[in-house]
Amino acid sequence: MMSLVEIEAVTKSFAKGDQTITPLKEASLSIERGDFVSLMGASGSGKSTLLNLVAGIDRPTAGRIVVDGEEITRLSRTKLARWRAASVGYIFQMHNLIPVLTAYENIELPLLLLPMSRSDRQRRVDIAMQAVNLTDRADHYPRQLSGGQEQRVGIARAIVANPTIVVADEPTGDLDAETTEQVLELLRRLNTELGMTLLMVTHDPNAAAIAGRQLRLDKGKLNEQAKTQKE
Amino acid sequence: MSRFAPYVLKSLWRHRVRTLLTVSGTAVALFVFSFVEAVQEGLNRLTREQLGDRSLIVFQANRFCPSTSKLPEDYSRRIMKLPGVKEAVPIKVYMNNCRASLDVVVFNGLPADKLRTVRDLTLTQGDWARFEKQQDAAVVGQAVAQRRGIQLGQKFSIGMLTVTVAGIFQSTVPAEDNMIFTHLDFLQRTKGLSSVGTVTQLEVKLAESADVKATGEAIDDMFRSGPIGTNTRPKGVFQANAVGDLVELVGFIRYLGYACIALVLALVSTTTIMGVQDRVQEHAVLQTLGCTGYRIFSMVLSESAILSTIGGLLGVGVALVMLQVSGMALGTEGVLIAFRPSIALATQGLAVSVVVGLLAGVVPAWQAARADIVSALRAA
Repeated sequence: MMSLVEIEAVTKSFAKGDQTITPLKEASLSIERGDFVSLMGASGSGKSTLLNLVAGIDRPTAGRIVVDGEEITRLSRTKLARWRAASVGYIFQMHNLIPVLTAYENIELPLLLLPMSRSDRQRRVDIAMQAVNLTDRADHYPRQLSGGQEQRVGIARAIVANPTIVVADEPTGDLDAETTEQVLELLRRLNTELGMTLLMVTHDPNAAAIAGRQLRLDKGKLNEQAKTQKE
Repeated sequence: MSRFAPYVLKSLWRHRVRTLLTVSGTAVALFVFSFVEAVQEGLNRLTREQLGDRSLIVFQANRFCPSTSKLPEDYSRRIMKLPGVKEAVPIKVYMNNCRASLDVVVFNGLPADKLRTVRDLTLTQGDWARFEKQQDAAVVGQAVAQRRGIQLGQKFSIGMLTVTVAGIFQSTVPAEDNMIFTHLDFLQRTKGLSSVGTVTQLEVKLAESADVKATGEAIDDMFRSGPIGTNTRPKGVFQANAVGDLVELVGFIRYLGYACIALVLALVSTTTIMGVQDRVQEHAVLQTLGCTGYRIFSMVLSESAILSTIGGLLGVGVALVMLQVSGMALGTEGVLIAFRPSIALATQGLAVSVVVGLLAGVVPAWQAARADIVSALRAA
């Protein structure tokens, strides 16, 4: 049976001045439905590149990526955007909320891209806000929220459309220790209680430890590590 | 697209000073554009409407300014004998200024009993009986009354002429709203004008069957050997000749209108580009969430069009109100070009603002839609 995500011999190169940089070289990986995968590696090792390829916001130089049976590396720019709207939830390190929209409106954004009635959208946003425990901040603008609250809004925005996969690019990189704990616990619950498939890039070994599978990227190659228990 | 309307509007409001400045600049430019177009429209209306009119104007040959044309009043009786002539009305023209001016006051003196047969006037104040029985009575066009603050029953003087206002009228011909009609013999006998027995021009109304060109030639032939020769032209041609110098000027002023459009294009385009550059990362986030390039393109284009359209609404709206209130007219050689608000003017102004807004947004919208997502996210 086919895995939810199949990454087959993916290479990514780009030109930087006279040099050609290859952060990913023939990397292959399978992610099963319901997996929580953490991806570590040194700066510039290509972990964010891999995450962006899986999220469909970047294209590989070679190789193929299949997500839930759809070979996304063959999709046109427009079809890829539509696929992202329906299939990917993206959690940013810097939250990247839209400053002119309230927490509610930020969370609702991905649903505006899907064929859905206003009442359905409202019901989904309410559920997502409850999941991140932010129902009392619906009308607040990003500038009125703490860093941790902003990231919870970002997580709610990523899960509100019930995507096939949620990707998180260093989701705790901009948070203090206490808030990091809360966000990691939230991600763990999304995986264990809601069965969401997560791919998380992180520098933090403690954060990586909450994932069921831990991968390390080294010189463009993926290595699976034995599961370590979080201290 | 309407689902993203709150985001588009809030984005414009986020930089409200920039938005207000752009809207203000656009409004001023569209205000000027509407005024320029009102002048052009007035000129077109003057020639177009009168060309369809089966009237001839008989003027003294080789004379241009009304104050120098002096035809015997008796000519009207002789012209009436020509076949196809329904009416030959002697008109004495007096004005405060023979040159081009924005505040020319033009008096037309006609036989009191003929005024309503050759002009389509509706009194909004006063009555015709008072006009007809009072020698120094005048009926005043609503535009000149408004511009000069002239009231019903008031005596007012311009130059050597003093009249009593017996009525204020509205005409079906906008240029006539800037005129004052009085009795011919009163105007002829006014001290200083001393022109009893002479008139400035004759307005000849023709029957449907009459040949306009041939009748004009017949009139000129009739008086060629007389003491004063005539130059007879269809009313539209006469008026077009009278304002001939202004046509070139108005043509030149149109470039000012085009410059205003270019100004709006540059202004809105600059603001939209700044808005796009400010939100490179935001647009990348929207694309990451699943917005297509087309949707981003539409949103940026909407912002640009909204800025320009709001400016256009304000500029065109204020211009139309001012045109209505001021009742301005450009006059030369006794012929008036009225500047009036119109549906065509409003439609043209708004269409220009929408189209210019869309054009101004094309390049920034294209840039936003084609931006590389990963590079844009890293640019923050």
